[in-house]
Amino acid sequence: MKRILLACSAGMSTSLLVSKMKEAADAKGIETEIWAVAQDKAPKEMERADVLLIGPQMRFMKKKFSITANEVGIPLDVIDPMAYGRVDGEAVLNKALELIGE
Amino acid sequence: MNRFMDVLENILMPIAEKLNNNRYLTALRNGFMVALPFIIFGSIFVVIANLPFLDKLVSEEAWAAYQNALGPASASTLSLMGLFVIIGIGYKLTEHYKGEAIYGGTVAIASFLILTPQLIEFEITSEIISGLESGVMHSVGGVIPTVSLGAQGMFLGILTAFVSAELYRFFVQKNWTIKMPAGVPGAVSRSFSALIPITLTLSTFLIVRIIFSYTQFNTLQNLIYTVIQEPLTALGSGLPATVVAVLLIQLFWFFGLHGQIIVNSVFDPIWYTLNNQNLAAYQAGEILPNIVTKQFIDTFIVGIGGSGMTLAVILGIFLIGRSRQLKEIGKLSAPSGIFNVNEPIIFGLPIIMNPLVIIPWLIAPVVITFVTYFSMASGLVPYPSGVIVPWTTPAIISGFLATGNAWQGALLQLVNIAIVLVIWWPFLKVMDKQYYENEKKAQS
Repeated sequence: MKRILLACSAGMSTSLLVSKMKEAADAKGIETEIWAVAQDKAPKEMERADVLLIGPQMRFMKKKFSITANEVGIPLDVIDPMAYGRVDGEAVLNKALELIGE
Repeated sequence: MNRFMDVLENILMPIAEKLNNNRYLTALRNGFMVALPFIIFGSIFVVIANLPFLDKLVSEEAWAAYQNALGPASASTLSLMGLFVIIGIGYKLTEHYKGEAIYGGTVAIASFLILTPQLIEFEITSEIISGLESGVMHSVGGVIPTVSLGAQGMFLGILTAFVSAELYRFFVQKNWTIKMPAGVPGAVSRSFSALIPITLTLSTFLIVRIIFSYTQFNTLQNLIYTVIQEPLTALGSGLPATVVAVLLIQLFWFFGLHGQIIVNSVFDPIWYTLNNQNLAAYQAGEILPNIVTKQFIDTFIVGIGGSGMTLAVILGIFLIGRSRQLKEIGKLSAPSGIFNVNEPIIFGLPIIMNPLVIIPWLIAPVVITFVTYFSMASGLVPYPSGVIVPWTTPAIISGFLATGNAWQGALLQLVNIAIVLVIWWPFLKVMDKQYYENEKKAQS
């Protein structure tokens, strides 16, 4: 079970991605839990996630989130703007799996 | 062009980082988020209490009874917004310090109440109330003036929440707590451990209140209001500051940074205060004082598809688009765009770092700011009534609700869409042609 957490300002635009990523995961036959939250909820939610992906428009939060991510020991990264704009679930899913795999 | 953009990005990114990682601004933003459900609950009932045409259908008494029955809904939430913001900030700041957040929230509100004059003074100007002498000041004690918890006390409330949470943390860290012997239940010992820090924090505010009662300002309330709040809100309600704020939002977004959230953390206290001033006047049936308010920005400058009013851009894509790429982006962006979520078009078109669209991206919202401002100033469209419309409310509906159920508000949004569309038209044409030719080349 891969638990992937997405965060943006209100958790709205990342939630668009969530459904696309779930579709991609189902197609690959990977068991996942993917969910999106607002930035203020992210530190708490990180505790039960395997990876955190940040919306590119909130990339200035990366430094702050890194502190919590290090504490709970999960990787994090900013979602590629192009993939974000195309709502490319598969690309973002691959990125998440790659980060977890490391 | 690329070097110039790199330089700008290098300037904007640290600003965004600073503003967003500043613990006070973060607590402020998250504190407002705590208050938001209450604010929206109150707004819904202001809208219902002022339904158009209903006052013409029923008798005057029935209308008054109807409004009176619904009144407490907004009077206890939206009008007392400061109360919830103060608790929210105190809570969130203390949570940030990993302290007992609930005490942070409650100590903030108690500190604020200590600073608040619990007295209402009034003058009798007519002979309607018998037994009271006219022409002199009378007062009622044992009350908390609701205005202090609304627009008037907003800035003091925010400052008090910051200071009280800091003091509380300071006194907790000093560890002058009463230690309970082992075996005492956790909750019991926690309630005692909060006692000393809270006592010291509140005593500090009591001393401040006593000191201020000997100054010409009488209360800290008055000082903050006249020295900080009034000048800042006066500045914020003007066109120049508004244009600067709008331009900054656009500029941040151009670099793919969430401009709204960055600029709001500075402007929200001002915009919400202006909003509540309008609400108080609207409820009292008086002339509304402000054009620029939270809703002016949220409904008329942002609320048409999101920052940059991208719903008009999506519309333009549907009208112009020949290239497959553009049409795909339009289809992808439209459903969320209706609800003012516009990341797909911002990152997909793309708008970010795209020199081709920087002109309409920056110009259109400024033009719309002027158009909206002057259509309100001239009396064509009513001022925002002070209700808070959730930012995901689609255009046309939001314009109607924000202006106190006025169709002119909805019409103004339609006009704004048309203006944005015209400004974007030539740029979209060029973009579409580029994409179209690239696609043809790729095919052959």
